[in-house]
Amino acid sequence: MRSLVALKILLHDRATTLGSLIGVIAIVFLVGQQLAVLFGLFTFMSVLVDHSGADIWVCSKHTSNVNSAGLIPERYLDRISGLPFVVWAEPLLFGNGTFVTAQGTNESVQVVGLRMPRAAAGPWRFFKGGSEGLLDHEGITLDRLDLRMFGNPEYGKVYEINSVRVRVSGITQSIKGFAGRLVFTNMVKAREILKTPPGRCRAILVKLADGIDRAAAITQLQAMLPAAEVIAAADLSALTRIYYVKNTGMGGSFGFSTIVGALVGIIIITLTMYTAVLQRQKDFAVLRALGARKRDILIIVLLQSLMIGVAGIFIGFLLLSLFLQATLDTPLPSYMPLAAAPVLAVGTLLLCILGSVLAMRKAVSIEPASVFR
Amino acid sequence: MPQPILQLERVARDFFDGKTQRRVLYETDLALYPGELTILAGPSGSGKTTLLTIMGLVLKPSAGDVVVAGERVTHLPEHKLASVRRMRYGFVFQLAELLPALSVVENVIVAAGIQGGQVSADVRARALALLESFGLSDCLGLKPLQLSGGQKQRVAIARALINDPSILLCDEPTSALDAESSTIVLDTLKQLSRDTHRALLLVTHDPRVFPYADRLLKIDNGRIIFDSRHPLPEENL
Ligand SMILES: Nc1ncnc2c1ncn2[C@@H]1O[C@H](COP(=O)(O)OP(=O)(O)O)[C@@H](O)[C@H]1O
Ligand SMILES: [Mg+2]
Repeated sequence: MRSLVALKILLHDRATTLGSLIGVIAIVFLVGQQLAVLFGLFTFMSVLVDHSGADIWVCSKHTSNVNSAGLIPERYLDRISGLPFVVWAEPLLFGNGTFVTAQGTNESVQVVGLRMPRAAAGPWRFFKGGSEGLLDHEGITLDRLDLRMFGNPEYGKVYEINSVRVRVSGITQSIKGFAGRLVFTNMVKAREILKTPPGRCRAILVKLADGIDRAAAITQLQAMLPAAEVIAAADLSALTRIYYVKNTGMGGSFGFSTIVGALVGIIIITLTMYTAVLQRQKDFAVLRALGARKRDILIIVLLQSLMIGVAGIFIGFLLLSLFLQATLDTPLPSYMPLAAAPVLAVGTLLLCILGSVLAMRKAVSIEPASVFR
Repeated sequence: MPQPILQLERVARDFFDGKTQRRVLYETDLALYPGELTILAGPSGSGKTTLLTIMGLVLKPSAGDVVVAGERVTHLPEHKLASVRRMRYGFVFQLAELLPALSVVENVIVAAGIQGGQVSADVRARALALLESFGLSDCLGLKPLQLSGGQKQRVAIARALINDPSILLCDEPTSALDAESSTIVLDTLKQLSRDTHRALLLVTHDPRVFPYADRLLKIDNGRIIFDSRHPLPEENL
């Protein structure tokens, strides 16, 4: 009966219910959208690591951000490849370059050099062409989302990066980096563009055989290569993200806008829920006189808060999924990991309850004697 | 004489008017008996509602004790008092005070289910029977807003009766009604008082209601000045 009373009152007082709903939706959407942008940027930051297909990365000592890894000797490659538990090991080169558009303007890019034919850490989604295009000795890929920025370069035509001749031999589909627009090419071309000294590379990617204990493999590799940093790919990805969050003020900025979103929502919920209780003061007093304990009144308002919370979360997630849908395949960073959704839902529900605390306190304090006045 | 169902022992009540403390009910001894319709009459501001709400366990007396069915309840904690109200009391207010969000039937059942738990089919059947006996069978699904004043007050009486209370307290239940609805409501209450186990207290300032009384109390300035059960010689009507 208490849940029926809770629901019926909500349906009856549509204006305040709608207001509270909007508060919940605001939390889900504003916070969720901020999180999606943050997670989207995360995927940009560690894009090379996350799609490398490797289990372990060997980088320069003290690497805490893949994009700023130093140079390491390429000869490590032979020693790593010789280990029985290694399926493959591939070198990787990357660094900054300047692309000259057909209009003569300069656009900075991040050039990534892959060893062919495996092209480990190479593009995994193509709009046009494929990684075999990088077998062409001057072949590069550009991303479809960046084409306009690059002055709409034509597929198969020749351009310049760092005054080196390159040919557009592939168009990738929505592959975004954080340190610059990603341009993939082969190892040889990358070395020429980036002027990397011979015998050096940025990282060596290692694929372990199935069933090999990753931690043990890392320990063994690290012992063999004391001058390098041997890191699990997942750890390097996390380190890179943490590095940027800490060192760019991004953490603070996203933290701030997330808190503002949550706060706006809580304030709306608090005001509307409180108004709703004020509006129903007489009803609550009547119920108290008829034998409702304070606990029963508390439960009614709590149930209302939960009902509004659940409905608002549902609607909020609908809107959020529309937002994610709309930003898919656009340059906008937006990505919501599946694990984040339940956290956001539970967090919103808790904030919704927090927002109704004032209303609950008011409802519980209503005196049954007030019906008689 | 039957045992009283409700007793007030030296009950008094003070209110704070800004800074000064004012006694609005002086030490009062009073007992209500089952099967009796007691009318408490007095001018506005004389303390009728104060006395009724103390009897109804919604207002704490400043002094004295309230005894319900032999149990001293004055110092029970709030949630216990609420349970006593639910088990033993029915209330009818001046305005029906139905919950506008609930239908007529739900308004009646709510008084039984408010402490949680499933509302039994018995309670439902009882609610329907009560509403039918008050001529409200056609209104079951309606909202209070769609009812007349007299209909609302009869729904309120059904609600007051759903827990089969031994004490029914009505605070000016007809003062907001027209003469015709008034008569219907009063007849309904009068009939109820014939149920021997119920004590019925009806507060009013309207002398036209007096004929319905089995027992008449008059209160003025916080003191009971007349009780037809124990008339003082000089106060005979
Ligand atoms: N909560 C309260 N605070 C202060 N004074 C009150 C309060 N309730 C009632 N009173 C005062 O007590 C007196 C009796 O009131 P009440 O019992 O409501 O009278 P009645 O019901 O006979 O009209 C009145 O003077 C009223 O102003
Ligand atoms: Mg009164």
